[in-house]
Formats: sequence, structure tokens, C-alpha cells
Amino acid sequence: MTDLLVALLAVCAVWTGWRVFRVDSMVRATFSLMLSFVAVGAIGVLLSAPYIGVATVFMMAVEMMVMAIFMVMFMMNPAGLNPMSMVHQHRVSIGAGVLAFFGLAAAILVSRPPSNPVAPDADVVTELGLELLGPSMLIFETAGVTLLATMVGAVILSSRQGRFGSADEGSRPPGLTEGGDPAGQRPDGGGGGHHHHGGHG
Amino acid sequence: MTLTIVLLGATALVGIGLYGALSQQSFVMLMMGLELMLNGALLAIIGFWSLSLGGMPEGQLMAIIVMAVMAVELAIGFALIVAVYRKRQADVTESIDTLRQ
Amino acid sequence: MIVLLALVVLGTLLVGTLFAAMLDRSHLSIVAFFARQRVETEAPDRLNRDLAPAWYLTLAGAGLSVVPFAPGLALIDSPVGIVIWGSCEALVIVTVFLHGWSPNAPFPLIGAYRYAAIGLPVMLPSMFVLIAAALPAESLSLIAIVESQREIWNVIRQPLGLPLFLIVALAMTLRGPMDYADAADIATGTSAEASGAGRALWQTARLAMLVSVSAIAATVFLGGPLGPLLPGPVWLWLKTAALMALIVLLGNRIARTTPSRMMWILWVVLLPLSFLHLLISGLVAL
Repeated sequence: MTDLLVALLAVCAVWTGWRVFRVDSMVRATFSLMLSFVAVGAIGVLLSAPYIGVATVFMMAVEMMVMAIFMVMFMMNPAGLNPMSMVHQHRVSIGAGVLAFFGLAAAILVSRPPSNPVAPDADVVTELGLELLGPSMLIFETAGVTLLATMVGAVILSSRQGRFGSADEGSRPPGLTEGGDPAGQRPDGGGGGHHHHGGHG
Repeated sequence: MTLTIVLLGATALVGIGLYGALSQQSFVMLMMGLELMLNGALLAIIGFWSLSLGGMPEGQLMAIIVMAVMAVELAIGFALIVAVYRKRQADVTESIDTLRQ
Repeated sequence: MIVLLALVVLGTLLVGTLFAAMLDRSHLSIVAFFARQRVETEAPDRLNRDLAPAWYLTLAGAGLSVVPFAPGLALIDSPVGIVIWGSCEALVIVTVFLHGWSPNAPFPLIGAYRYAAIGLPVMLPSMFVLIAAALPAESLSLIAIVESQREIWNVIRQPLGLPLFLIVALAMTLRGPMDYADAADIATGTSAEASGAGRALWQTARLAMLVSVSAIAATVFLGGPLGPLLPGPVWLWLKTAALMALIVLLGNRIARTTPSRMMWILWVVLLPLSFLHLLISGLVAL
């Protein structure tokens, strides 16, 4: 019974994962990816990892929402209901994906991992908590510091006013054709560009 | 048996994610490919932890680390996209084919 | 037993929604929507447009199903009950976003983005408040959190918790000061293009979510089914009803500010406040 459910959810995760690169719109792609994560989270819950499974769903719902917001900031069609296919080196990518799948699948089918399932009455959430704040505290804290560094780095990378002047100074949109006129707005032409030159006195 | 199913699913996710990360032009879609590969890793970790390692707590810790990696990847990835967009006003990989200027 | 609990959850959701409609005086408008014609927009995402109200309703049901109706008795007796509720909250934001995005029309889309931008920072105080409530219980299970309140309720032990959670509740039910999705200033936002049964279901789901979020707040801060004389479920119902009335009152009484100012409030005031709350709760729980 569990086998069947796990298999169904795994198929679901793979199918929605595949849909990510097949659907027309980025919003659909984002939430298709979220469904893939939700399926993995459900497998986690079935395989007696309730915290990991539910936390995956929570984390990914928030993360995909962030993704959707960013996507709209950069996409040409925010609603994203137009056909879309933006791919390069398509054959190589398919080859790499298929190769990765068959290589790993062969490794899985050949190898015999030990069968040692979780004890049904184990209190895995408590165990995780004791592990996080006990023997593996240093690792856990390292993750925390890494996230802090990420926050600082993300703010620095994305701030408009860089150390050497405005980050979008002299930026030029790519041409509509090879070497052609730039598309979209021109920041040097005034209007959209907010240049802050205060503080140089 | 369950472990094989779970691992095959994880493998397929990694394969699809690799295809996406290599083939997509848009940065955001490219990052979705990376996330999908991490999803496969997460699934494999859950499978191994639950069925092969007897539920040793370090396995769950590993899954938490993968989630932290996802968060870091997302945050730094989007910051880089913003930085590139500021410089080139584009969100596709071809726009940074040459990093001159 | 499970069947009985499922029936209790469904009954609570149903009666609670009716009670919420009465509090809101919105039952007539909801019924009237059934008689209206459906509006078709150009190239909508039909799947999400039709399913978003159902998802919202499902999330309300899922949130309510982790609530213990008597000490030690919940439909979903999970060791991570409070994280399940957290996932429901996160998925509510996704659902509201999809509801606004799917009609492919300007006002719904504006509502969807406004709500997503406000909803994500609301998640942070929500998580800190819920984690703080889990500290004295030393467990993420809602049943254990109820047990930890036998001597003193969390609303007294953690005085900042309930006010912060009420803000979350207002955001979850798209109500009053936190209604950036369906507000009147953008022509009812995400539901601007919705009409007919879909619109009625969406409004019903908002009311059902009010029941769910109030039941969670009653469980986490007011001791849930604990209380003298009366049986557990009755206490839970009374506390939930009182919180529902409070949330409706707050929604009607407090004005909504601009999204940018609300963003400032959320990141600069409420987030540090919830950190402080977590710190105090942690020290008290020691």
C-alpha cells in the first residue's frame, strides 16, 4: 500500500517536474515545480519523516512565491499566458539529462543498498531536534551563518547604488537583432534612471 | 523495493533538472532546473534515511542542509539576476556571453 | 473515532462559516452571487481560476483538521501539527496569487502581486509566534501545546503572541487592514473578474478560513479545549467564536494603509517585534 502510494507520488513529482519545462507560462512552471516539491514532501511524510516532509512543503510554497514575484519583474509578459520556448543547446541538454538518468538508474538497479527501515515507534522529530542542537550543532550553526552571509551578499549584489557608482550606469539593453538597436528603455536617455549622486561632497 | 522506486524518481528529477539547467535561456527557468536537481537530491536523502539507514538523525540533518542550500541558491541567484539586469537589462544567459565592458 | 472527528471538523467548519457570514453580514451577497452570470475574461487560466476557491476551502479544512477538539484528540494527530498549519498559511498566499493571476486581467493581477508582496513578510511573524508557542510545550504538536497550557494560557505567558497572530489572521482571511488582495480600492482585486458560483465559493472559503485561523489561535493562545465544567469541544467552539468576532471587529475598525507603508511596518516594526517576542518567550520557557 505504501509502495503504491510512494510510486504514485514519485510519478507525480517527476511528471510535474517535467511540466516545468513544457508549459507556456512561467507562473505555471513555477507552481508546477512547487507541486513537484509537494509530492516529494508527501513522500517524506509517508516514509516517516513528518518534519522534513511538511517543512519541504512550507519552504517551497514560500520559495516559489518569491520566484513568481521575481519572474514577473523580469518577464516580458507578466501574466505569462503567451506561448514560450526559450532554449539553447537543446540536443546536448537532452543528451545530458537522459545520460544522467540512465547512468544513475543503472547504478541504483545494480547496487544493493542495505535494508534498514526506520523503527515504526521512533520519535524522529525529537531525534532531529536533539541532533540539531547536540552533536551536529556546529553544522547547524554553520548553516545559519551561511544564510546570514547570503542575506548580506544578496543585498550588496542587488543594491542599485554600488561602491563604484550607480549599478545600472551605462547599461545598454541587448539588440533586437544581432548588433542592432537596443530594445526597451535607454537608461541614459533620462526618465527611468534614478541616479543618486548625493554624498560626494 | 520502495527504495528503488524512490531512487528512480529522484534520478528522473535530477535528469530533468539537468536538462532544464542546461537548456533554458532565461535565468529564472535555469534556476528552476537547479531547484529540480536539488529536489531529486532531497528525495534520495529521504529515501536512504528512511529505508536504508535505520533513521539515523544525521540523515534528517542532511535534508535540512539541502533545504538551506536551496534557500541560499535562490537568494544569491536572484541577487545575481538583479545585478546582471542592472548591467544589461536582460534576463537571458546569452546577454552575458562576453563579460567585457 | 476518526469518522466522528472528521464529522466534528466538517460540522465546525460548516457552522463556523455560517456564523462568520452572520458576523460579516455577507450571507445575502454570497447567495446573490449564485444567481449572477459568470464573467469570461480573455485567455484565462481556466484550471486555476476554477480551482482556486476550492483550494482555499481545502486549506481551511486542512488547517482545522490539526486542531485538537478535546485534550489529546485531533483528526490529524501529527507530531508537527503546527508546521502543517504553517504550510497551509504559505499555500494560502499561493492560492490567492493564483486566484488573481488566472483571470488574466489587470485588477486581479495587481491584487495578486500586492498580496504576495505583503503576504510573504507576514509569514515571518507568523512563524516566530508559532515557534514561540511551541517552546513551553517542547513540541511542535498542537496537542502538546494544549497540554502545556493547563496552568497558564499562552496569551498571558506570551503577551505579544496573540496580537501578532491576529495580524496574520487578518492577512489569511483577506480582511480589513491586511486585505491587499480583494480590497475595494482596486475594484475587489483578485475577484474583480469573478462572478457566479466561483465568486460565491471564494467568499465562502474566506469565511471558512476565518473559522480555521480562529480555531488555531484559540488552540495556541487560549488553551483550546481546556476549561472547567463544559466539555472540551464546547470550550474550543466558544473561544473560536469569540476570536472570530474579534477578528471581524478588527477588520471593520482598522483602516488599511498603503502597501508601501504596510511593507515598512511589516519589516521594520513587526519583524523585530516578533524577534523580541521569541526571545522573551524563550527566556520565560527556560
